[in-house]
Amino acid sequence: MGLIKTVFMTELLMGLKIVFMQMFKPYCTLQYPHVKHPIPDGYRGLMSLLRYEDGSERCVGCSLCEAACPSNCIKVVSDEVPGQPLVRYAREYYLDISRCVFCGFCTEACPVDALAMTKVYEASVYDRRELMFDKRKLYALGEQFLEDGKAYLVAHGMDDGTLYPREGLGDNRYAFPPVDTAHGGEQPEQIGLTREALEVEEIR
Amino acid sequence: MEIGWMVITALLQITVVLITVLLTVAYMTYAERKVLSFMQDRLGPMEVGPYGLLQPIADGLKLFFKEDIIPAGANKIIFSIAPIICLIPALIGFAVIPYTEGFTLFGMQGGVIADLNVGLLYIFAFAGVGAYGVILGGWASNSKYALLGGLRSAAQIISYELAMGFSIVGVLLLSGSLSLVSITQAQSGTWFGFIPQWNVFLQPVAFGAYVIAAVAETNRLPFDMPEAESELVAGFFTEYSGMRFAFFFLAEYGNMILVSCLASVLFLGGYNAPLPFLSFIPGFAWLALKTWALLFFFIWIRGTFPRVRFDQLMKFGWKVLIPVTLVNLLVTALGVYIYNN
Repeated sequence: MGLIKTVFMTELLMGLKIVFMQMFKPYCTLQYPHVKHPIPDGYRGLMSLLRYEDGSERCVGCSLCEAACPSNCIKVVSDEVPGQPLVRYAREYYLDISRCVFCGFCTEACPVDALAMTKVYEASVYDRRELMFDKRKLYALGEQFLEDGKAYLVAHGMDDGTLYPREGLGDNRYAFPPVDTAHGGEQPEQIGLTREALEVEEIR
Repeated sequence: MEIGWMVITALLQITVVLITVLLTVAYMTYAERKVLSFMQDRLGPMEVGPYGLLQPIADGLKLFFKEDIIPAGANKIIFSIAPIICLIPALIGFAVIPYTEGFTLFGMQGGVIADLNVGLLYIFAFAGVGAYGVILGGWASNSKYALLGGLRSAAQIISYELAMGFSIVGVLLLSGSLSLVSITQAQSGTWFGFIPQWNVFLQPVAFGAYVIAAVAETNRLPFDMPEAESELVAGFFTEYSGMRFAFFFLAEYGNMILVSCLASVLFLGGYNAPLPFLSFIPGFAWLALKTWALLFFFIWIRGTFPRVRFDQLMKFGWKVLIPVTLVNLLVTALGVYIYNN
């Protein structure tokens, strides 16, 4: 039996058969530039700065992102909004995306959810200076990929769209976090998590 | 006048055959990449033209425009001649392959460029010359990898040329001629009306041995010792670039097509249709079909088998293939002797 197997090379023929049948199986190739994988909402792509629905900038220029950034690629120049001494904003915002490690710490550090990451991963440019994002570019990205940015914040559990209600804020940029009034005080209404947000939290 | 027509018909046939061969070489590279891709669940070239059909042209253009480097310390003359020595035997062999039934063109015989009465010897002689191109190219490169590739190639080609020769002698005994035209003509017709009178049915062992030896002769996987990528970078053409590299490449694929053509002619009836009622299809189509089937087999085994070790290669050639073909030759000679008396 062994001799017959050797003479007629049955093992080799078996291999040939398997390889031949393999030809009729579907291919695994993704024709990349023409076809792209779907990107999950939590994907950490290029950085962007978001605006509120009314068009005002979310960023308050607190520089927490700058402090959180492990690769020191963020530079915030904070300033007062003219005429509104209590309200600050980022006059200039620089983000060297060529040094960014796409960790997303800045978005988590941001108290107002101004930073969000888009699903853009094709960041190649011919001039490296184009990778030095400034405030204009970041807001432009945020405007272009607004839905991606919002989806990112939701996916990472930072915002479900109700976290910072914009109603009744007065001069303030954002609603302040819940004040600890455990020492006898009553919980004021509509501060911090809304009922819907709490429900979402429970589901998670 | 007679001479003039002769030259014209010869040139016409040469042009047609050469263009066909070069086109086949070009699309053989494409077919190889495609078939291998399908075997590996890939798609292969898809970008240049529809389904990547213009890929061979893009590859050719790329090779033409590549920088031509002659390494320092290389023997310039031999380095330049080696690719040519390699390429010409691969192309010149097609002169004696009968590509279709004999026909008359301007009063001259067509169907084959030159019906040499020693056609087979001619092909084998030039295949031997082709080995020089590989060895000289390897030596002249002044590179260890190339030299080792060349040496391996020499050993391998000599070993397998013997087995190949022995496997063919059986066919010669059966047809009683070295002319490929006579060998093809001897294979026309059928036995009992349904088995084509091809030599493969009389010489199955020789056919198997020929195919194995042919794979080794053309330095193809699993016998691609001379250019084993993982050991020798690219073997004998490690130092070659641009057009010279393209020449070696052409030679490799030309050789593949030549041995496939030869196998079709010797064992598979050449341009003969397998059954009489199929003979309305012209002869060259049958030859092309058989050749492409064999070329597909070349790709198929490349996609299947891993490379053998060098000592395994030598052992298989000398201790298995040559004895088997010798015994086959002995049996064939006895059979022919008994049949003729």
